Amino acid sequence: MNKRYLILFTIMFSHALLGATLHRGLGPEPDSLDIHQAQGLPAIQILREIREGLTSFDAAGNIIPGVAASWKIDEEGRLYRFKLRNNARWSNGDTVTAEDFVRAWQRALSPATLARTASLLAPVVNAQEAMVGTTEPADIGIRAPSSDTLEIRLDTATPWFLEVLAHPVSYPLHADIPDQPSQAVVNGAFMIDQLTMHALIRLKKNPEFHAAESVSLDTVDYLPIEDPSSELSRYRAGELEITETIPAGRHDWLETYLPDELQVNPYIGSFWLGLNLKREPFAGNPKLRRALSLAVDRRIIARLVVGAGELPAWSIVPPRMGRYQPQAFEGSDLEQQSREMEAKRLYREAGYPSGTPLNIELRYNTSSQHRKIALAVSSMWRQVLGVNTDLVNEEWKVFVNSRRQGTLTQVFRGGWIADYADPTSFLDLFRSNNELNTTFYANESFDRLMDQAMVLEGSERIERLQRAETQLMKDMPVIPLYFYVSRHMVKSTVTGFEPNVRDIHLSRYLEVENPNP
Amino acid sequence: MLRHALGRLLGVLPTLLMLITVAFFLMRVAPGGPFDSEKALPPEIEANLNAKYHLDESLAQQYFRYLGQIAVLDFGPSFQYKDWTVNELIAQGFPVSLTVGLLAMTLAFGVGTLLGITAALRQNTGVDYSLMGLAMLGISIPNFVIAPLLILLLAVYAGWLPAGGWDGGFASMVLPVVTLSLPVTAYVARLTRGSMIEVLNSNFIRTARAKGLPEIVVIRRHALKPALLPVISFMGPATAGMISGSVVIERIFSIPGLGSYFVQGALNRDYTLVMGVVVFYGVLIIILNFIVDLIYAWLNPKIRYDEKR
Repeated sequence: MNKRYLILFTIMFSHALLGATLHRGLGPEPDSLDIHQAQGLPAIQILREIREGLTSFDAAGNIIPGVAASWKIDEEGRLYRFKLRNNARWSNGDTVTAEDFVRAWQRALSPATLARTASLLAPVVNAQEAMVGTTEPADIGIRAPSSDTLEIRLDTATPWFLEVLAHPVSYPLHADIPDQPSQAVVNGAFMIDQLTMHALIRLKKNPEFHAAESVSLDTVDYLPIEDPSSELSRYRAGELEITETIPAGRHDWLETYLPDELQVNPYIGSFWLGLNLKREPFAGNPKLRRALSLAVDRRIIARLVVGAGELPAWSIVPPRMGRYQPQAFEGSDLEQQSREMEAKRLYREAGYPSGTPLNIELRYNTSSQHRKIALAVSSMWRQVLGVNTDLVNEEWKVFVNSRRQGTLTQVFRGGWIADYADPTSFLDLFRSNNELNTTFYANESFDRLMDQAMVLEGSERIERLQRAETQLMKDMPVIPLYFYVSRHMVKSTVTGFEPNVRDIHLSRYLEVENPNP
Repeated sequence: MLRHALGRLLGVLPTLLMLITVAFFLMRVAPGGPFDSEKALPPEIEANLNAKYHLDESLAQQYFRYLGQIAVLDFGPSFQYKDWTVNELIAQGFPVSLTVGLLAMTLAFGVGTLLGITAALRQNTGVDYSLMGLAMLGISIPNFVIAPLLILLLAVYAGWLPAGGWDGGFASMVLPVVTLSLPVTAYVARLTRGSMIEVLNSNFIRTARAKGLPEIVVIRRHALKPALLPVISFMGPATAGMISGSVVIERIFSIPGLGSYFVQGALNRDYTLVMGVVVFYGVLIIILNFIVDLIYAWLNPKIRYDEKR
């Protein structure tokens, strides 16, 4: 009897002592844990767990105050004044001060740092000049009037700037910057306990974090697993509670056998085929571009070709971007059969009567998924319009170069995952002066609408952006195919996992039952 | 023996230099560079980056700079994993690959020779046929089929072993070691059987048997050594291949070894990482082949006597 009590007691007690551990998949190994060198999503994810900026995210991915307790934005939207919370501390107990932000931003924008994501800070006064070395980093528009007040000046109003402040590139830095970034003092909900490359990043709760009492987990084990199939095996073997993704082609199986654990949700990403408007046959031929777009059956692409819950895309901007209404192209409300009739009509009008078929090249970066999509699209074009399509695949580094130069490309794989959840993240790509505009689309009225939207606010701004997208979809420099989704497996023992379009799920909001001792 | 060793050792340097040269220029011939990505960097920043990594110098300058670095065993910083130097990456990855590789090698040679000898002694019987049949299967079924099967059976369904990962413990080594050793075991078994049969049919074995020696002594003292010669010469490159890390095994079992750096480094144009791993691997193969040569000379009197003459 006594013995049994003792065992029971030990079990209960050891659980209470050890606390809960969550095991999460991370995808590839992070490229750097230095806030100014990190580029890839895995690195950004770890940095969001161990550090915090002026703003942060709640469990549903909304922007909330982080190190800043409150802020005021002036009427023109160009001056931000932040009041820092008085209980924001570094993991060594030091207070997080406004100077820590000034120091970090000067480092981010100094040419010596070569910060890879510094362009997110481009709206800040003198930021672009500092990056290329024409101004001293000390002259950028960030100032600390007192140790708990921070002032940021922007060149133009930037409605998504509060989200930029939640990105690692704008985080504060402690005065001591060690050579090995994983050993740095941090200010987030967790801190690095153990790091084995390609095997484990173990985070432990940071007791100095200002909301530490609301953090349930004591340990978070992030496992870098590059291969989604291996990740799924380890999930099924009980070694992970949350996966980073699911393997392509396993969606249906998982939906049948583990439907309660499968989390597929809309994501701020868009997949399209770009058309090079600098070259034949697309230059000055909007009818041909629209014909090719209408001839594609997006439902088949989304459901059968990519097939993991992706949504067919009738616009460039995905849904769920605040109050913005995506502007579908003309003909999207028709039946596919009528769309194909319309496609044939436009194709003829574009100068391709029957008997003289169009020969084009579709270029994509090597991946079995992209190949499947390219095959499906080219066979739809052949069936509906009789177009002959050559598929050309290139390895990623070669592909991005040929796409940027635009001397070889005709039709090419394109797409975008937003840096911030705002329609401009997508629409800006099609400004005539944007170097990411690989279609070389240039329309004055589109550019003008985008410029107008920059200085407007609220519904007026949204109206201009919607008109810009309408114009874009009329000119059809790209053929939207589908919207990305985020895909995770989440064990039923995990609570607090809230689906959101940014796909940000900070561990500070998660809880796990039955802690693994 | 010593002269033989020294002669071989001197031959190593030109081989190594050739390897470095070919790898260096092949890497640079590949289109695209380490900083190419979807978003082009502002030209000023790209110029700064190129200057930092000396990519703004002429190719010849870079080549000789690299040779100078290698001479002091400095492989430089990694482009892709910016927090680490290539030396640090190799220092972290190699012990893991070495552990897995050596264990797999020991398993493969132990089990492989045993099976091969057994099959040779029972030549053309059911035992021989079934062992060689199994070995054929082991050679022809690729790792990437066996590994997921084993994971599914032993980790997902039975739950006896972890499905992947690396904590340095015994349990996490079992599946990768077994998977890695299977094809080598099979190959060694077939190799051993073949040469054993050949040796058993040779004149000196007939003499030994005629002298009335018990079969076990004939095999242990007279047949084993010559029969293992082809296996030994296979062992050099095989060991190098196994301890330098297998991309497939490392990916499937998420093991933090060296193997993945080859592919990842090449795809990302991580010049320093690829070069570092190539040079490291090259030195490893050369050293192992050298050791095999020495063992071979020790086992095979013909080579020793040729040298003395």
